Amino acid sequence: MKTDWDDKAMTRFSLKAFLISGLASVFLAAPALADETTEAYVEENANIVLDTLNDPALDSAARTAAFETYMDQFTDLGAVSRFVIGRYSREFSEAEMAEYQAAFRKYALAVYENQLDTYRGERVEVLGSVDRSARDSIVNTRIPRSDGQAMDVRWRVLNRNGEYQVVDVALNIEGNLLWLAIEQRAQFIALLDRTRGSSQALVAKITEMTAELEATKRTDTTFDAVAEADEARIVSGEE
Amino acid sequence: MRSTIAICFSVILAAGACTSTARTTDEGVYDPLEPLNRGIYAFNEVADKVVVAPAANVYKTATPAVARKGVGNFLRNLGSPVVFVNNVLQGDMDGAGTTAYRFGVNTVFGGLGLFDLAEGDGFEHRGEDFGQTLAVWGVPEGPYLVLPFLGPSNLRDTVGQGVDTAFDPLTWTEFESDENLDDHIAVGRTVLGALNARIALDGTLETIREQPEPYVAMRRAYTAQREADVRNGQEDPNAYEDLPDFDDFE
Repeated sequence: MKTDWDDKAMTRFSLKAFLISGLASVFLAAPALADETTEAYVEENANIVLDTLNDPALDSAARTAAFETYMDQFTDLGAVSRFVIGRYSREFSEAEMAEYQAAFRKYALAVYENQLDTYRGERVEVLGSVDRSARDSIVNTRIPRSDGQAMDVRWRVLNRNGEYQVVDVALNIEGNLLWLAIEQRAQFIALLDRTRGSSQALVAKITEMTAELEATKRTDTTFDAVAEADEARIVSGEE
Repeated sequence: MRSTIAICFSVILAAGACTSTARTTDEGVYDPLEPLNRGIYAFNEVADKVVVAPAANVYKTATPAVARKGVGNFLRNLGSPVVFVNNVLQGDMDGAGTTAYRFGVNTVFGGLGLFDLAEGDGFEHRGEDFGQTLAVWGVPEGPYLVLPFLGPSNLRDTVGQGVDTAFDPLTWTEFESDENLDDHIAVGRTVLGALNARIALDGTLETIREQPEPYVAMRRAYTAQREADVRNGQEDPNAYEDLPDFDDFE
């Protein structure tokens, strides 16, 4: 077992958030450069999504349906699905691509819902933004959590002919900037390399991961159980 | 002197790197020994499931969280001399002062380090090791390695671990009253440290195992976190420069 490094680094390293989430953070050294429209776009839409997850009028199925509708507008899942398989997006046949993109969309929405659900009821606060180019900006935000901590979250937004869409989200964990799509890309391509570009293998893995996420998704009845478990941890001094 | 040592280490690491066919992964990690590393990773997974994780579970069940925290504090305090030396070697005198203060306060008033009183004074622990020192000196990380039982590393960090052991006063301490006591202390320290670390890593390892390519996930996680450690948790000021373009695959 690794001791020193593991103890100090990996323990404070929320890999859970890193590897399957999609949220990010502050660019302290850079001045706010991006246009206010980009920042307003992120603030408005991110808060709509979090509000949707916290809407008591919606049951689980309705909440998921509303969430997916907003996310389809807010994010460019088509671009992300191609990005995360890199060169294989040109090598898959049309049929393979269609099957893969359908599986990926389901998976990505499940990942986002699962992770953003942690922040339901909270408000996204924009801290500033940076333009990488005239049409590629990163908006820095802060999202408080119920445990009193706040996550620094960054949203990469592309402006295509005046239409804004998020293509990647990152968390800043102890100075480590972790982008969701880039992490997925590294692993998806590794899987494809290992299976000689098998779209079937990738779709099977994505489907398996989606099923696992679906199994852990909050339902209305588990909401109270989660809150109770949180309370028990606090009372017992674990938090 | 410092640059001479750095150059020496750079040459050693470069020589190590050249003994294998160059292979840098898509994510930029140099992993020429990947087939061997994957084999050791698989071995570590089995060892973890069969031996380490069950032992950690027994330890966790048998000890209250407060006791485990005390053990963790104590072991961390024992490592302070090594952290201090590395603070100095990195030219980080503020860090050296913090480490010395923490060691003094926690040893004298914190029950030999069982309680981290210095943290309450605003002197938070920040780990340093010789692998980080080499990085500060400009030595490249060398090939990625997976070590049996120890897990992910690279040549620079593996060398660093050896040097840190040499820096540790306990490595060289002999007790006249009991000539085996130093060995017992070393074993106890290793075992308790390993169990504490394994418990702390439980969620992380579980998440890595859920990934499409756990080996790749571990490699990326280790490499990225070590880079952040070298920056003392500060963000890379050029973090946005090399982000890939999403439109390349339109």
